[in-house]
Amino acid sequence: MNNLLAIDVRKCTGCRNCELGCSTAKTKTFNPARSRIKILKNEQESTIVPMVCLQCEVALCVDACPTGAIVRNEHGTLYVYSDDCIGCGNCVTACIYGGIEIDPMTRKAIKCDLCSGDPACVKACDYKAIELVGSKADDFTRRAEGISRLSPVYIYEEKEAEH
Amino acid sequence: MTFPYKGYAGYYAEVDLTKGKIHKREMEKEWARLYLGGTGVAAKILWEETGPETDPLSPDNVLVVGTGPLTGVMFSPSGRMMFAAKGPLTGVWAESHVGGFFGPEVKYAGFDFVIFKGRSPKPVYLFLRDGTAELIDASHLWGRETDVTTDMIREEHKDPEIKTGIVGPAAENGVLYSSIIVDRYRAAGRAGLGTVLGSKNVKGIAASGSLGLEAYDMEKYLEANEIEMQRVCDPIWTESLTSLRKYGTTDLVAIINEIGRLPTKNHWTGFYEDADDIGPEIIAEKYRIAQEACHGCEVGCKYIYRVKDGRFAYGPAGGPEYETIMSFGSNCLNNDIESIFHLGTRCDLLGMDTISCGKSIGFAMELWEKGIIDKNDTDGLDLSWGNVDSMVELVEKIAKREGFGDILSKGVRKAAEIIGGDAWMYAVHVKGLEASGQDPRAHQSIGLTYATNVRGADHLRSLSSLEELGYPDIVKARFDDDKTEAILDIMSPKHKGEVVWDIEDLYALVDSAVICKYGTMWPPIYYFDTFSNVIAPLTGMDDWSNPKFVKQSAERINHLRRAYNHRLGITRKDENLPKRLLKEPMPTGPSKGGLPDLDEMLDEYYDYRGCDKETGYPKKEKLEELGLDYVVKDLGKRKMLAK
Repeated sequence: MNNLLAIDVRKCTGCRNCELGCSTAKTKTFNPARSRIKILKNEQESTIVPMVCLQCEVALCVDACPTGAIVRNEHGTLYVYSDDCIGCGNCVTACIYGGIEIDPMTRKAIKCDLCSGDPACVKACDYKAIELVGSKADDFTRRAEGISRLSPVYIYEEKEAEH
Repeated sequence: MTFPYKGYAGYYAEVDLTKGKIHKREMEKEWARLYLGGTGVAAKILWEETGPETDPLSPDNVLVVGTGPLTGVMFSPSGRMMFAAKGPLTGVWAESHVGGFFGPEVKYAGFDFVIFKGRSPKPVYLFLRDGTAELIDASHLWGRETDVTTDMIREEHKDPEIKTGIVGPAAENGVLYSSIIVDRYRAAGRAGLGTVLGSKNVKGIAASGSLGLEAYDMEKYLEANEIEMQRVCDPIWTESLTSLRKYGTTDLVAIINEIGRLPTKNHWTGFYEDADDIGPEIIAEKYRIAQEACHGCEVGCKYIYRVKDGRFAYGPAGGPEYETIMSFGSNCLNNDIESIFHLGTRCDLLGMDTISCGKSIGFAMELWEKGIIDKNDTDGLDLSWGNVDSMVELVEKIAKREGFGDILSKGVRKAAEIIGGDAWMYAVHVKGLEASGQDPRAHQSIGLTYATNVRGADHLRSLSSLEELGYPDIVKARFDDDKTEAILDIMSPKHKGEVVWDIEDLYALVDSAVICKYGTMWPPIYYFDTFSNVIAPLTGMDDWSNPKFVKQSAERINHLRRAYNHRLGITRKDENLPKRLLKEPMPTGPSKGGLPDLDEMLDEYYDYRGCDKETGYPKKEKLEELGLDYVVKDLGKRKMLAK
C-alpha cells in the first residue's frame, strides 16, 4: 500500500505546478492558496521548501483537534472531516511541518489526503520531485531524508556541493 | 458579475494617481474576445488613452500592467505578464514582458489589468489583495534598491508570499531605460517602462491573493492542456530543452558565437574570440548553484549563481541571461565573467535594462577608441575596451545620472545627438531602442525583425529560430513545401518576409495570452493551433476555437500596435537598420562578409501584412476586415492609410 509522499527537494525548481495540480483537483479552480501542498520560496537565501502532510505515525494535528475531526482512514491516511472541523486552527499550530492549513475560502482545515492513492501533485510535477511511496522501512527513510534536507542551510550547501 | 468569460480574474483597476483614487471595474467583454489580454488589450487601451501629443514622462502617459487568460492557469509556461506605455526612451510603442510569480499573483489577487494614470503627489505603491486595491505611502521606500524594497513591503504586511514589481533608484532618477524588477531578479527590462512608473511617483506594485481562477470547461481545458504539454515531450525538442534546463540562456553565448552572430565590440563584429571565458560551461561549473522555474513552467531556464570570493563576491542571486552576458561581455570586449555577474546584478538592484545599459557603455567605448570623446568628457574615466573598473563605476553613475553617466542614461540615440559629430555612426539602435544580442549580418530575417518591431531593435516580437535551429519538418508544416530550402538558409532573404509576418502574428498571441517565448520561439513547439485548442475551453469564448478567428485576432493586434506607431509619425523610413548593421559587411568570424537584404524582405513583409510598400501604412480594406474601423477613421483623417 502506498501512503506517503516523498519529496526530493534537490529536484524541485520551485515552479509551484504541484500547487496548481492540487487546487485543480481539490477545488476545481486554479488557486495555490487553497492547495494542500505548498512551496515556500526565499529568493534571498535561494531556498525552496516544499511542504505537505507527512502522514505522521504520531500525528500532532490529531491530538490538537478538539472535535476529533482528523482521523486516520482505512488506508492509514490522515483525513479531515470537514463537517466536524470548527476552523479553530489548533492543528495548524500543532503541526511542525506546515502540513495542515486553514482554507482561505471555507475557513476549515485542509490537508493532503493523497487523492485516494493517485496524487494530482505527483502528476503535475514535471521535474519528478514528488513520489508516492509505500510504508516499508525504506520508504520511511526516504521521507526522513526529505525532511532533513528541508533545513535551509543544508539545502543550500548540498546543492552547491553537487558542483 | 456580468463579464462572462472564465480564466480571467474578471476585473481591472484604474488608478487615478493624481487624485489618489482607484476605480475597480469589470473586464470589458470585447477586450477579451477581440484582443485576448496582455499586449492586445494594452494596445487597445493605449490607442484610446495616448497619442502624438502625449509626453511619455508627463502625467498624461498611461501605463498598463497586463496579464492574459493563460497567466496562472497551469499552462506551461504560465508565469508571464507584461507592462506597456508610450516609451520614454523611444517615443513610440513600448512593452516589456517578465516571468516569475508576480503575474499569476496579480490575478489571484483579483485583477487582470491595472491602468495607471496621472501622477501621484507623493511616492506610493499599489497593493492588491483579494479583490481590493490600495495606494500605500512609499516615502520610506523611495531611493531604495529593488531587493530591499521587496523585503520591506513583505515585512510591512507580514506576508512573505507577496510578489512584487518594483522600480529602483534609476527609474526615480529618470534613466530612460529603467526596468521593472519582479521578485528580486526578473526584469521587465526593455524600453524604459520603469521610468514611466518612476515619473508617476509609483515605487511598484505588490500583490498577494487567494482568489481562484475558474475554467469554462475544466475537464476539456485540462485535456487540451495535456495535449499541448505532450507536444513538449516530442523527442525532436529534447536537445534544445535539455540545454535550457542545464545552462539556461547562457548556452546561447556559445551557440550564437558559433554562427558569428554574437554582438562584439559595440556590434562591430559577430564573433568573440574569448567567448569561452563568459560561456555556459564555465558558468555551470563554477558559479551556478541551482535551477529555478517560473510559475508552472516545465522548462525551468532560470539559474541561481554565487560568486564565492574576490572583489565581486555575491549571491545567491538570479543569474544573468544571455543578453546581459552579451551586453556587458562580448559587446564591451570584457571576458571577466565575475564582473558580468556584478554588473547584471547591479542593474537589477538599481532597476536598469542590462541590454540598453551595456550597449550604451559599449557605444561610449567605441567613441573613446575613435577619439570622439576623451577623459575631459568622461569625468576622467578610461573607457578602453574591457576596462572593468570603468564599467563598474559607469553603471553607478548612469543610475545616478551623474556627469557622463547622465548622457549615457538617455540611450545611444540621444547620447549621440548630445555628443555630436560622427557619434551617430556608432549608435546601434532602431527607433531609439538599443539593439539586442543578435546581428542581421549573420541571420537575414533578424534584420527584418529589428526593422519592423514596434518597440525598436529587439528580437522578441518576431525572431524566427526556424532557420537557426533547422527544423525542416516544422518549416514544411507551416509554409509551402517549395519554400523550405530557402527558409532554412539563414543567409537567404527569400520568403523571410512571409516568415517574419507569420511569426509576428504568432508572438502577438503569445504576448497576449500571456506565455513565454521559450516553447514558442526556442524551440518552436507551440503554434496557432495551441491557442485554438486551449483558449475556448478555458474562457468559453467560442470564436477562439475557430483557427481563422485566431489568426485574424493576431493580425488585429499587430495592426493596432503598428497604427499606434504610425500615428506618432513612424513610416517605412523608420523601419530601417542602423548603418553598421545595414552597410558594413561583417568583418570577421563565421559570418564574415554578411549583410542583410532589408529592402527585399521589407517589400514582401508589407505585402503579407497588408501595407503600402512605400510608406508602410496599412490598407483600409485590411483594417476593415479585422474590425478595426475606428483605426481606419483615425488614420484616414491623418492621411496615414495606404494610397
